Amino acid sequence: MATLKLQVKSRSGRDLLPDGLLLPSDATVEDLKARFAELKPRYYTARQRFTLPPREGSRSGEALADGKRLVADYGLADGSVLFFKDLGPQIGYATVFFWEYFGPLMVYPLFYMLPQIFYFGIKAPEKSLVQSLALAYWSFHYVKRLLETFFVHKFSKATMPIFNLFKNCAYYWGFAAFVAYFINHPLYTAPPVKRAAAALATAMLCQFANFRCHVILANLRPAGSGRGYVIPRGFLFNLITCPNYTAEILGWICFSIATQTAAAAIFTLVGAAQMAQWAAAKHRRLIKTFDGREGRDKYPRRWVMLPPFF
Amino acid sequence: MARQGRVARLYLLAYNCAQAAGWAYSGWLLAQHVAATGSLRGAYAAAGEPVRLFQLASALEIVHAALGLVGGSPVTALMQWAGRSNVLFGVVAAVPEVQPGLAVGAMLAAWAASEVVRYPWYAAGVAGACPHWLTWLRYTAFIPLYPIGVVVEMAAVYQALPLIRGRRLRSVAMPNPFNFAFDYHTFLVALLALYPLLWFRLYSFLFRQRAKKLGPGAEAGSSAKKQA
Repeated sequence: MATLKLQVKSRSGRDLLPDGLLLPSDATVEDLKARFAELKPRYYTARQRFTLPPREGSRSGEALADGKRLVADYGLADGSVLFFKDLGPQIGYATVFFWEYFGPLMVYPLFYMLPQIFYFGIKAPEKSLVQSLALAYWSFHYVKRLLETFFVHKFSKATMPIFNLFKNCAYYWGFAAFVAYFINHPLYTAPPVKRAAAALATAMLCQFANFRCHVILANLRPAGSGRGYVIPRGFLFNLITCPNYTAEILGWICFSIATQTAAAAIFTLVGAAQMAQWAAAKHRRLIKTFDGREGRDKYPRRWVMLPPFF
Repeated sequence: MARQGRVARLYLLAYNCAQAAGWAYSGWLLAQHVAATGSLRGAYAAAGEPVRLFQLASALEIVHAALGLVGGSPVTALMQWAGRSNVLFGVVAAVPEVQPGLAVGAMLAAWAASEVVRYPWYAAGVAGACPHWLTWLRYTAFIPLYPIGVVVEMAAVYQALPLIRGRRLRSVAMPNPFNFAFDYHTFLVALLALYPLLWFRLYSFLFRQRAKKLGPGAEAGSSAKKQA
């Protein structure tokens, strides 16, 4: 078994390890990252990103994915060059999800329970049944999200840049306050209770559908089966690439109808726009991966996220 | 440039030429007005209509960015269009008292002066025949025009504030069927507070672009792909 000596450069060409990086020839990417972290303790493994030299006409080369072997999967040999990028301080996915979902769970009920603070000076009448149902639904939704974060979701990456924590929390907490402010306002005009109840019941069905989609996604890749993509099948996945988003958006549309609030509709629209971007990217990725060649399956014709338009 | 097919390039050329013509016309009306009255006061009455038309039409630039016809983010394009449109349509068009003022007149002049350089530069870029002096003008004219522009825009909005507040213009209060409330006056005050920051980001971005396009090693006749 030979020893490889790899050159590690920054993307501007600076040599980061003058003595090179020594690894056995059967080393994996994890071994590489562990060794690099030993030499440069500031860059713990989650912060490291290595890319191969770019090919002709490309701006950047392929990134090294955890779990693969250096020589066998990337053709790295003694003297090969790798480019390093610092991804910045990282934070765990589950940590971010916790804080971004915990906020709305705390913020919304504050508006419901403390009108004397948030609607200072305005006389607050009794809450309508619709407002109470809305509070229950909203709370249920975010409890569901928190439980899914810790018991259902399998994250494809362990960490994200720490800046995302602030960005995501600003979005979720901000919109929670925005929506809660209007629904719990003393001058709120409730739609007919029957309509609101029917809409929220439909929203709950959407939540169950969304949950089922999450369970299917979590079970797509059983532990230890490697990191390859799998074509999702079953339930709504036979028709739509991202039915979890479909169910989520429909749920929020129902919530907007139930509460008859422009703020909820705006929240729904912005969320839908973001989910559409993610769905389009996922759809493209799956089509590109499952191109039908070399024994791979061909990705079936499916709606991206919102039949019959998209 | 590689992303633009033949039809796309012809369309963009036509669009940028039309905007250039529109703003040149507006600029000419402004010049006539100044020649006749010796001041920019009351210029809105002279040039307001074409300015409103071409500003409205420039919403297309958001679509261009969203479709990938031009570079740049559609969100940035939206914010820039919305900022100017808010001042023009939201404030000035709704408050006749500020229209004859110097702030509004100077605002139109600053806008016209900027656009009459920017659109021909885009057009030349699309046509692939951009003379160096035009690039120089595009990346130099903004240096005085942008600060002047932002100051007079803010002044015009500031002048309109008491009238907007008194008349509760463009505002909606609860209760209402949409359970929504919006106070335009408060919104404008918050916007005025943010304006210097937002404007400064754009200003420094243009300076960086200037260094790239006019600095050593920059190619003459650079592509107009990235719109700013």
